[in-house]
Amino acid sequence: MALLNAGEWVEERELAYMPLVISAYDVPSVETLLVSGGVRTDEDLHKLRSAVRQARRVVAVGTCAISGGVASLGNRDEVREVFIAEEERRHVPRLLPRCRPIDTVVEVDRYLPGCPPTPELFMAVLRDTPHFEPAPNVCRECGRTKRRDMKPSHLVGFQRGEVLPDICLINQGYLCVGSSVRGGCRALCTRPGHPCVGCRGPSDAFIEKESEAWLSSIKRVFGSLTDVPEEELDRALRSPQLALFLFQFSDYAHGGGAAEDRPPRPKEKLL
Amino acid sequence: MPTLTFPLSRIEGHARVVIEVQGGEVISAHFEAMEIRGFGYFVQGVPAEQMPVIVPRICGVCSTAHHVASVEALEDAYDVTPPPLANTIRELLMLGQLIQNQATSVFLFTMPDRLGTTSIFESMGEANSERDRAVLATQALKVRKAGTDLISLSGGQFIHPIKATVGGVTSGIPPEPAAEMRRQIAEALPIACRLFDWYWDKSIALRDRIGTWGDDQPAYYISATSDTCPNYDGQPGQDVIRVLDPKGSDCEAFAACDFREVLTFEETDYSYAGRSSYRDDVMRANSLARINMTRTLGTPRAEGYLTRFRETFGQPAHAILLFDLGRGIELVYALERAMEILKEPLDGGRTAVAHTPRDGEGFGLVEAPRGPLIHHYRIENDVIAEAEFIIPTVHNTKAIERALNVAARRYVTPERIDMELEHAVGRVVRAFDPCIACATH
Repeated sequence: MALLNAGEWVEERELAYMPLVISAYDVPSVETLLVSGGVRTDEDLHKLRSAVRQARRVVAVGTCAISGGVASLGNRDEVREVFIAEEERRHVPRLLPRCRPIDTVVEVDRYLPGCPPTPELFMAVLRDTPHFEPAPNVCRECGRTKRRDMKPSHLVGFQRGEVLPDICLINQGYLCVGSSVRGGCRALCTRPGHPCVGCRGPSDAFIEKESEAWLSSIKRVFGSLTDVPEEELDRALRSPQLALFLFQFSDYAHGGGAAEDRPPRPKEKLL
Repeated sequence: MPTLTFPLSRIEGHARVVIEVQGGEVISAHFEAMEIRGFGYFVQGVPAEQMPVIVPRICGVCSTAHHVASVEALEDAYDVTPPPLANTIRELLMLGQLIQNQATSVFLFTMPDRLGTTSIFESMGEANSERDRAVLATQALKVRKAGTDLISLSGGQFIHPIKATVGGVTSGIPPEPAAEMRRQIAEALPIACRLFDWYWDKSIALRDRIGTWGDDQPAYYISATSDTCPNYDGQPGQDVIRVLDPKGSDCEAFAACDFREVLTFEETDYSYAGRSSYRDDVMRANSLARINMTRTLGTPRAEGYLTRFRETFGQPAHAILLFDLGRGIELVYALERAMEILKEPLDGGRTAVAHTPRDGEGFGLVEAPRGPLIHHYRIENDVIAEAEFIIPTVHNTKAIERALNVAARRYVTPERIDMELEHAVGRVVRAFDPCIACATH
């Protein structure tokens, strides 16, 4: 869907395979293969393996393809039990034991994180625009002013309603993690007043570090802009909303260890 | 027993149709959804206030409907009423979704069936030059983009909106971007009408070629819009689902919280999506339901198309390929209605009211492009204890399978199976514009 929003490619590239808008059931030989979504069923696995053989370049698009995204919440034990019960069904494709990022199955040349990536980022990947550099973090693109004289003593909920314009959301008590999150999205969420949940993952400054490094960076930012007690912040940072996005990217550069069996993702491969 | 399996394309999500044939007779026609992610399970334990950002991820097409339904379910649980300006901005958001969705379904999903191509991005054969292809695709995407940009303007993010919050919306829309959006829609409207006129003609040509508008057996229809100037966000006061009987009379209206008394749901062993029925009967949701249940649309060009539709096909109209024409009419309506709203002042007023979260139960109802969508949450200790998503595509499953049966019987005889059946299967399913990502969630 996000690709359709980036309509500029229509006059530059030929769309060869995309069942959403094209009736074609086999991937032909292509220059670029954009893969979205995690690997959930045995059919996904088969399709992905046969598709990459046809492609010169493979791009993992979106949080689900890169880290499992929302779909990987189904890896929780109690949800897997429900899925196992689904095996009784007759025709449907078999669910794999867990939803996997695509680079646990095939080699990926480029990563385009975001839920979803913006049209601008899509075009930069398609054109392989030289020197295209997204902003280092979301704060740089947000434009809200950080103030030292407006320190909330507690966090407020995400769903509080009216938000003051032009002032940093952290100063208003929102759990915004834009300071350590990869930019390039033009701060689509924070500018109209919703805190960043980190859908593009950690910025280059943190990508090769342990998740502890960016957790403490977030805490430092909150320390200077708020008087929120550390225990309260710690609790809030375990929020599922952040787990969905930001913290899925932990150990990004180091590979996922034995359980994940995926290669490291050097920052040069990321947009 | 031969089994015919048809993979599906140009629909949202992964599904296929399986038809069983014995001795030239159609035994069954199944619509099989082949994916599942388990939202109903894994949102258990999520802080309730985070639902409006998590649930749009059910689907990249219907995300706006889930976003708004989720906020409304929480507002119902917390007993909070948003100010009028917030409702207006949410209506714009839902109109953006309708424009985007109907443009996608009409121009990207079903136009190729009328042109005999596999997609609008592919060459249309020798009679159509490469240039025409680029023009059609570019224009279709331009109309669609008016919807996407309207979602961005009124919802913040372009696919997974964030601006609706419990008690209202995070911010209004300043006059300048509103005027710019209005200009963009004013440009898109004539393009949409021109493409739709062409689509209408091509639909008649298709009907003449295949000799049918598809399954035209009467059915019940359900919709959460009112019967004039349809509002898609199921605002308070209109917060009911209406039912039209097969003869065309209003026969029932029920609140979202009472859905279980009226709608019955069953699982099947061949699909990750279930199917539901209205008092054990086949029902239909989506564009044709709304067109059949609307007295007037209230915007000039859309009203013109509606009149033409009524004069040609009557009211209620039952043939399934008319769903496609209905979506075109709604596309025009949504563009016109959005322009009306964008003329009003959309900032300066109060955009949200304060609220206190509390435990309990809430139901959110919106009319999504595919029909009435209900989110039902039970909240304990501020987290979701139980969540149900009542999805319009599931309401249409029986109607889809019935229409598949009709099509299969047309093309399967004791002597032969006419391979036009493959195209017919695609047309039948696309007429209902099902969303598999939502149906299975």
